[in-house]
Amino acid sequence: MLFTSLPFVCFFVIFFLLYWYVFSGNLKLQNVLILTGSYVFYAWWDWRFLFLLIGSSALNYILGIYIDKSKNEKQRSLLLWIGLVQGLGCLLFFKYFNFFIKSFISAFGAFNVKADIYTLNIILPLGISFYTFRTISYLLDLKSGKIKPATDWVVFFSYVAFFPSLLSGPIDRPKTLIPQLEKKRVFDYSQASDGMRQILWGLFKKIVIADNCSLFNAGIFDHYKTLSASSLLFGAFLFTIQVYADFSGYSDMAIGLANLLGFKITRNFNYPFFAQNIADFWRRWHISLTSWLTDYVFMPLSVYFRDYGKSGLILAILINFTLIGAWHGANWTFVFFGFLNGCFYIPLVLRGTLNKKKKAGGQSALKAFANMAGMFILLMFTFLIFRADSLSQAFDYYGKLFSSSLFSGFVITEKLNTAVILLCIAIMLLAEWLQRDKQHALQIDAIKIFPVRALIYFGLIFVILSFNATKNADFIYFKF
Amino acid sequence: MIKKPLNKFLFKALLFTMPVFLFFEILFRFGFSPIVTNSTLFDLKMLKVQQQHIEKVSVLSMGSSINLYELNSNIVVRNFNLHYYNFASWGLQMVDQDPLLKDFVKTYHPKYVVICSSFPEFISPQNNSYLNYINANGFLKKNFPELFYFKNYNSLHQIVRRKLTTYPLKLDNWGGATLRVKQKDIDRQKWNEHDIFPTRYTQANYNALDSISTFLNVQKVKFIFVQAPIKKSYTNTSLSTQLIQLHFERCKSIVEKQGGIYLNYYNPVVFTDSLFFDQYHLQDTGAIIFTKEVVADLKKIIK
Repeated sequence: MLFTSLPFVCFFVIFFLLYWYVFSGNLKLQNVLILTGSYVFYAWWDWRFLFLLIGSSALNYILGIYIDKSKNEKQRSLLLWIGLVQGLGCLLFFKYFNFFIKSFISAFGAFNVKADIYTLNIILPLGISFYTFRTISYLLDLKSGKIKPATDWVVFFSYVAFFPSLLSGPIDRPKTLIPQLEKKRVFDYSQASDGMRQILWGLFKKIVIADNCSLFNAGIFDHYKTLSASSLLFGAFLFTIQVYADFSGYSDMAIGLANLLGFKITRNFNYPFFAQNIADFWRRWHISLTSWLTDYVFMPLSVYFRDYGKSGLILAILINFTLIGAWHGANWTFVFFGFLNGCFYIPLVLRGTLNKKKKAGGQSALKAFANMAGMFILLMFTFLIFRADSLSQAFDYYGKLFSSSLFSGFVITEKLNTAVILLCIAIMLLAEWLQRDKQHALQIDAIKIFPVRALIYFGLIFVILSFNATKNADFIYFKF
Repeated sequence: MIKKPLNKFLFKALLFTMPVFLFFEILFRFGFSPIVTNSTLFDLKMLKVQQQHIEKVSVLSMGSSINLYELNSNIVVRNFNLHYYNFASWGLQMVDQDPLLKDFVKTYHPKYVVICSSFPEFISPQNNSYLNYINANGFLKKNFPELFYFKNYNSLHQIVRRKLTTYPLKLDNWGGATLRVKQKDIDRQKWNEHDIFPTRYTQANYNALDSISTFLNVQKVKFIFVQAPIKKSYTNTSLSTQLIQLHFERCKSIVEKQGGIYLNYYNPVVFTDSLFFDQYHLQDTGAIIFTKEVVADLKKIIK
């Protein structure tokens, strides 16, 4: 069920009414409803993979109990490793098995050795990267004593399968979500209203901006060999906007839905296009993933390599970012995308400015804008690798992009539609710039006159209804 | 305790959603119908069927624009005391008609199915947007077509654009239409056009015709396949004559294999070029002559 689909709307309305009107007096029943709803939501896509989700939850729940009970450090480590092997094993199998096999075949082929290894027709279970990271962080935090084990299996299972963030994040940590599941929830009008506003903003980003950009740039990327460089540049611009609008739009909807149920889940985006440098960007983009990897991969690595000074830090960053890239999918394009982003950190490390945040007013507005524009251009070219089917296609695209036709005009077939989508992008960026100190762009409580607020909401609803893309594309991050 | 803020929240949520539903209902009432498939005429026709409360159809005719324009509804209805409806729509290929017809047969339980067809129905691939209609819930199609606005993510600008750019076609009460263009107004390019036949999609369309014949045979519905006239100048080379003859034979064998009836009205002597609009569409006068001939033959079959 897509958040933007009619079945989901029907599902959520029924769920919401049951949740607050029927089960609100009983925490246990409310959690059972969350769990049941999450499983229905997941099974709607493919019920067979529900068993994997349940099995993974059950194993990690039992391991958590025994890690907590055991006083023997070796035994605790063993139990943790069992959980890690299960989680990462499933992830590697479903997501990377064929990738490894094909890479081996290619590697052998380079030495003229024919390897007869079969690939399997493996379907990637939706959300596996997200729920696996939840179970892993649960065991790691439990082992290091940061959290107590979940008191109830329904709570833990609901934590793993919490439907607003099950398929595409944010990746909630146990210390954030489990206590909320264990505590009685009271309907909070302002939280629910804010949730609705965030859902509305997410819808605008997803179905007006991302889906329209997707329609436009599909035409450009499919025919890039025959188009002018300026068209390819336009395609790169649209794709950068699309990835952001698609994923942050989904995150906004997920956070908004959680708010409606009385939960506060992790923020995933903090206006990344206003970043001043690459480190700033990754502190703002897919925050729940980058902070997860910072805590569980980068920090241990930087401690491990601390004796090597700046080289050690660079190595830790490169490994961390290569993993971030690989997390996105089984393709060398993602691996290279991550590695390249890691490389962009090197000047910051060498200059010693990695952790320095620009003070407000510490630089001129012009300089700040120039930094943002520079970052956006860098992202535009980097995301091309993310979009390409293979590295060779990405380099081919670059080759065509940097040609003399870069300064030629490009043919726009649907001028009105293009103008509308560009206007919508401008509205999105402007609204987010004006609201950059808020959680989301539609947090407009400062406007005290209700009719003005209502006018803004209806205006946005009208834009969504008028210019949504008829073809509703899947969320890009579903496949990760 | 929580009920008060909750009720207030729900009330406000309704306050914002109700105008949206109301707005779409008004759009619907003013004829800005939802986009179900990417065929404007098909969507309009299905809406007309819903508005006319058509429950049962004894003689169901189906096809592309050929069936739509060439089977004159008045003549058919005058000659048969049976419920008749023409479900034909522009551009329907056999591969489109196959799933649609199966859906219509289950809904309207006809005794006879008539398809007036020609080779243009065997040249293109399937249009998957018809599946949006076929796969939609029957209750939704019949009672609440407004829901298609939301189900198919129709945007207002597309709905309005479709309404404003639609070719103004007047359907009669039985779903048919008349093509009347003065000779001097006929587009010369269309007049001289020569569709390539067969194409790489032709075999799939023959398979679809086979599937239709088999299905109707199993359902015990009498299938009458009518080969419509073709402009003489289309078959002005020996190759095109040969290809058309092969097509006739192929359709005949498919239809008759499953107990269907094959009728062929390719007759350049009767249907002279002046009766046509383009290479295969008859104008109103030609359609009347054609329908009278068809009805005379159908009288021997439809009791």
